Amino acid sequence: MVFNTPIFFVFFVVFLLFYGLVFLQARPRVYFILVASLVFYGAWNYRFIPLLVGSSIIDYYLALAIAGASTPSRRKLFVTLSVVMNLGILGLFKYADFLLMSVADFLGVFGVEASLPTLSWVLPVGISFYTFQSLSYTIDVYRGDMQPRRGLVHFTTALAFFPQLVAGPILRARQILPQFHNLPVPTWSGARHGFLLVTSGLWKKTAADLLAIPAGRLFEADAQLSLLETWTGVLAFAGQIYGDFAGYTDMAIGLALIIGFKIPPNFRLPYFAISPVDFWRRWHISLSSWLRDYLYIPLGGKYQRHRNVMITMLLGGLWHGAAWTFVAWGAFHGIIITATHFLGRLPALAGFAANRSRSAVLLKWAITFYLVTIGWVLFRANSIGSAFEIIVDLHTFTGLAEPGPMAAWIALITIATLVLMHLADWFVIARAEAFENRRWLFWPVLIMIHSICLLVGEPSDEFIYFQF
Amino acid sequence: MTDRRIFAKILIAVLLVMGVAMLLARSFTAANGASGESLLSRVFQARAAIPAIAAEDNDLVLVFGSSMVQAGFSPREFDRDLADMGIDVTSFNFGFGGLNPLFQDYLSRRIAEDFEREGRRLKLALIEFNPFQATRTRRERAVALEESYIATLASPSELFEILREDPERGSRMLTIRYLRDGISAEMITTFFWGEPFQAPLIQTELEEEEGVAERLQEVLAEMNDRFEAEYPEYDGSDWYYPWRGGGTNKSERPQETLDLIEEYYRLTQTDYQMADDRLQRIQTADIEELHFDPELVEAFIRIVENFGRIADQVEIIMLPKNTDWIRNPPEALARQAEVVAHIERETGVPVRDFQQIDAVSNDMFSDTTHLNRYHGAVAFTRHLANFYADSLR
Repeated sequence: MVFNTPIFFVFFVVFLLFYGLVFLQARPRVYFILVASLVFYGAWNYRFIPLLVGSSIIDYYLALAIAGASTPSRRKLFVTLSVVMNLGILGLFKYADFLLMSVADFLGVFGVEASLPTLSWVLPVGISFYTFQSLSYTIDVYRGDMQPRRGLVHFTTALAFFPQLVAGPILRARQILPQFHNLPVPTWSGARHGFLLVTSGLWKKTAADLLAIPAGRLFEADAQLSLLETWTGVLAFAGQIYGDFAGYTDMAIGLALIIGFKIPPNFRLPYFAISPVDFWRRWHISLSSWLRDYLYIPLGGKYQRHRNVMITMLLGGLWHGAAWTFVAWGAFHGIIITATHFLGRLPALAGFAANRSRSAVLLKWAITFYLVTIGWVLFRANSIGSAFEIIVDLHTFTGLAEPGPMAAWIALITIATLVLMHLADWFVIARAEAFENRRWLFWPVLIMIHSICLLVGEPSDEFIYFQF
Repeated sequence: MTDRRIFAKILIAVLLVMGVAMLLARSFTAANGASGESLLSRVFQARAAIPAIAAEDNDLVLVFGSSMVQAGFSPREFDRDLADMGIDVTSFNFGFGGLNPLFQDYLSRRIAEDFEREGRRLKLALIEFNPFQATRTRRERAVALEESYIATLASPSELFEILREDPERGSRMLTIRYLRDGISAEMITTFFWGEPFQAPLIQTELEEEEGVAERLQEVLAEMNDRFEAEYPEYDGSDWYYPWRGGGTNKSERPQETLDLIEEYYRLTQTDYQMADDRLQRIQTADIEELHFDPELVEAFIRIVENFGRIADQVEIIMLPKNTDWIRNPPEALARQAEVVAHIERETGVPVRDFQQIDAVSNDMFSDTTHLNRYHGAVAFTRHLANFYADSLR
């Protein structure tokens, strides 16, 4: 069930009706959220409900066991069990076939023909999100960052909470679990902001679907494209991946806020970043902070920084999908982050790194945006070879095809859409309150945007991040 | 504000925002004259005529198919030819352009239901199998229309069946049918934003003869004027009952009009026009290589079965092919033969291949695929009358 479909609208209206007007006590409401969330998840594939519920039950009891363990070794044992279980589930469903095929390919290099059996299992939607979320709970309890809370239903409901279940943000238990133990009552101003976020997300998702067409032409079609069209395709994908993912999380945060729950933001104008490090502080914040807290820092953090950054980014890339293109994308980001750290310490460049003048910031932004965009080629291409060809084409100024008659126009629209997405986000961050208080303007604008999103777009397309 | 009141207020806001947004979206499509019914006006008009068709005294013959049937079958001439042989039937042209077998399957179910409701059976149903309508390329070109057309042509129970099997798709199609007036977002997106990304239509390198285009415009304008003068009673319908879904007849037109139409045929059958048309058919329908889409072939089999419910005799026919311009390589003909054999096996109905018949020559086409009205349609209609006379006796 996808947010921008009629079936979700019906689901949400029925949910509001029962949650707000029928069930008035806290406990029935929590139970109802759990049932609704499982219906929401089951609409995609009900056979994976036991996996979701089962892993939450095990983590719930493991957290209690960790807190109640009499010795450090037992605590360690329980947390290890949780890590093994969560990463085991993820590995089995997401990476087993990739691993087997990679082994077969590797053996093939040495002339050994290995036909290894593959599982070919369907990847449960949202598995990468909810396993990380559940894992963070047991680790936090192990570290003593939070006390386990009694209430299995509350924990399962927090994990399965439908707005963030299938594509995040990856919430920490300490952010969301207390809200289920003390159910929030929505405020009208909060709900209004929720409406704004849902609308902003819907607009970004619609724009992403439109940008998918020029992006698909570059990455899917065999057509010979000109330099302008190749750049347009890459920029369109930069817009598509941002609009798709940030749009989804905006809608998730907005829907939660409408019913009173607070979910922290997952994006903060990522293409305004002025360094690769800055980019990861703005892009998929819940994943980058998860990787920082549960991988980078335990690895040693700033001690042996380059090694730790590379490991973190490689695994971050792999988290996105079981393919070498994602590994390459992670490695690319690892390299540019490491290079940024290294160059920033060179005396010749230290001044530039610290320079906050407008021209220096603009130059840093341009370099960062260029690097991030090149990174998206690795992320989106069907193979590393194909990515390499596209990257070469992006820097080849002669010998490519002639641009089509609409090429300049399409490039202009693509860039304008990218800019508009960020302007809309900036507006939501900086001007939302004043806008929401002007009721005569707020509601008509919202309605107008919704009607445009109803008119255009390809609602059958799923969200890109569902596959992760 | 109490908990309950705030939720009531939120619920009202959700319903109002979406309700008004939907109303605005629908107003936009309505203001542009776009609706499922307007896109399929000939289909709707033909279906609306079924009660009157059922009330006809004579045995009924219905020819169902694509725009090739629409152009190539003349019901009134068919009836006249058979009447000359002492056989009284009333025939109808149910040829519709732009519908692939997937859409025709839904339409044929509705037609069957309409006839069953009227309690009337057809003496003969001729179903056109058009090979290039069942190709993968043809289907891919219609992807943006698929949900709109199916939502418009499906019955409520079929839509609810889709909803049961796939709630997301079903809810989308119910919305298209009942709230969006048959127009999907994909359709609008493709219309406004998809076209620049489609490969431009391949054009012939032949040069058009000087003055042909200008003269063609003049002839068309004059033909329109003459049509309006000669048929003042014509109401502009896409499916016109007095003509039984067919077109005008040669015998009704004065000689000066016929001379003008002959000139029109000459102007539209230049090498330039035909070569262009052929290339576009290859690009949009894979007309020569014929890589079939199995789902479209299965949908065609269901069409034959649907007509089997309401017709005493069902026949599958393949209409004449312009072999001057459309030349299928042996591999394509083998693919076609395989599909035809599959259809015959599954339906138990023989496929009558009229693609190359002596009665129709290659100069009787208006383009590379459609028969022209005053030569091709006349000749092919007479061929059908002769072929089916015995079974209609």
